[in-house]
Amino acid sequence: MTADRQKNDSKAENLDDGVVDLPVISGEFVDVSLSEESSEEDTKISPKNKDEIGFQKTEAQNSNIGNHRYNAHYIFLPCIFLLVALLGGMRIGVKNSEFIFLRPALICLVFAAVLLVLFFRANLIRLDGWFNEKFSTQKNIANGAVIFTLFAAASQIFNALIPEQGLPFWIIAFCFFWTLWNNLFAEFDTKRLLKSLGGLFSLAFVAKYLILANLVSNGQGNWITRIWENPTGEAFTYFLNIPQFASATGYIQFFALGFYLIGLFLVNPDTEFANGGG
Amino acid sequence: MKEKHIQILSIALTLCGGFFVVWIYWAAPKNLVEITTKAKETIESAKTKTQVVIGNYEVDKEKFDEGLLAFRQDKFIVARDNFNKADKEKRDAKTQFYIAYSFYRQGWGRVSSNDELFKKGLEQIEEVIKLDDDYKSDDSNLIMKTPVELKHEFEEGLRITAADFNPLRLVRKRK
Repeated sequence: MTADRQKNDSKAENLDDGVVDLPVISGEFVDVSLSEESSEEDTKISPKNKDEIGFQKTEAQNSNIGNHRYNAHYIFLPCIFLLVALLGGMRIGVKNSEFIFLRPALICLVFAAVLLVLFFRANLIRLDGWFNEKFSTQKNIANGAVIFTLFAAASQIFNALIPEQGLPFWIIAFCFFWTLWNNLFAEFDTKRLLKSLGGLFSLAFVAKYLILANLVSNGQGNWITRIWENPTGEAFTYFLNIPQFASATGYIQFFALGFYLIGLFLVNPDTEFANGGG
Repeated sequence: MKEKHIQILSIALTLCGGFFVVWIYWAAPKNLVEITTKAKETIESAKTKTQVVIGNYEVDKEKFDEGLLAFRQDKFIVARDNFNKADKEKRDAKTQFYIAYSFYRQGWGRVSSNDELFKKGLEQIEEVIKLDDDYKSDDSNLIMKTPVELKHEFEEGLRITAADFNPLRLVRKRK
């Protein structure tokens, strides 16, 4: 009570002196007419990174993410690419459903090498992020091993998508050569490259396992029966010289291609995984 | 797991996986069962090749004896099979000499010889000469003791000469 009275007294004294101790409020007077429609406010996306918006991750969370990426890069990725390397050359025979393992033609290795150059150009893989004198020897070797599995998988994917022999082999191989050669001189970023490769490989898969595979005959019965029942198929088989495989081959190659594209999606541009960074 | 360990694991995984993939494409098994049999064959082959490199290579005595028994009973196909199993790396001059001799005995004919078997025999005896030029058999059952004699018989059998029309050829004996 006494304190309040003292406060009031001091306020009365201030008023008498002409000095008013009030909080200062500053602002701008805006004249907005209610009849006009308010103009749409431009929405702009914050230039900040998504990671910087919101709550910052804790150190433990960052470390966890880093570990996952580390394991994915050094364990999961080689496993995927080795699986693709195994499945890429695998065919299933028509007669006894026997396994047939076809080694990649030399041109597949050349295309895989060109593809690797494309990866470096498009910054899907940064050379100094994978091989660096700052890294330990075993890290450089481990990164080299992952690159080797990527190369092997790429060779086998071309082995899977290019027809094995005959006229279609040369046509499809030329198409791949043309596309890869053009891509070497094009401006690419990682996303565009992956989209381009996905489209290219999907088209080749459709051409080989859906179109060409259904043009040829299944090879059952003697030649007279086959010509009588399916003359077009026999003609295509003869002229195009396409080998016949069981339909299970298409399924295997579908999954091989899928795994390869997943593996590409998981590849990191560099190999610094500390604190959840890329 | 420490980073170092993961990197080492990655390198080991790549090496093992890569080796497996290369082996599968080299062995080309036709089904899942054949994978195990091909794996066993590969291990056996690797073992014998290592023995050859070290210098410990030896012929399987049991198979050799079975082959020799079949050879003496004129069962030449069984004999060659057992000899091949006994000497997988084809490094033993004695075993290879018996294989060549089996081609001679099987292909020999009183009127005419089997040219195909004699050709195979000739190729076989050339291999024996490469292995051991001075080899001499100690088997009393064999009339021709050296590779050179056997080679001469093969060459004569493959040639057509005036002596082939000599009627006394009908009373000659197989060596």
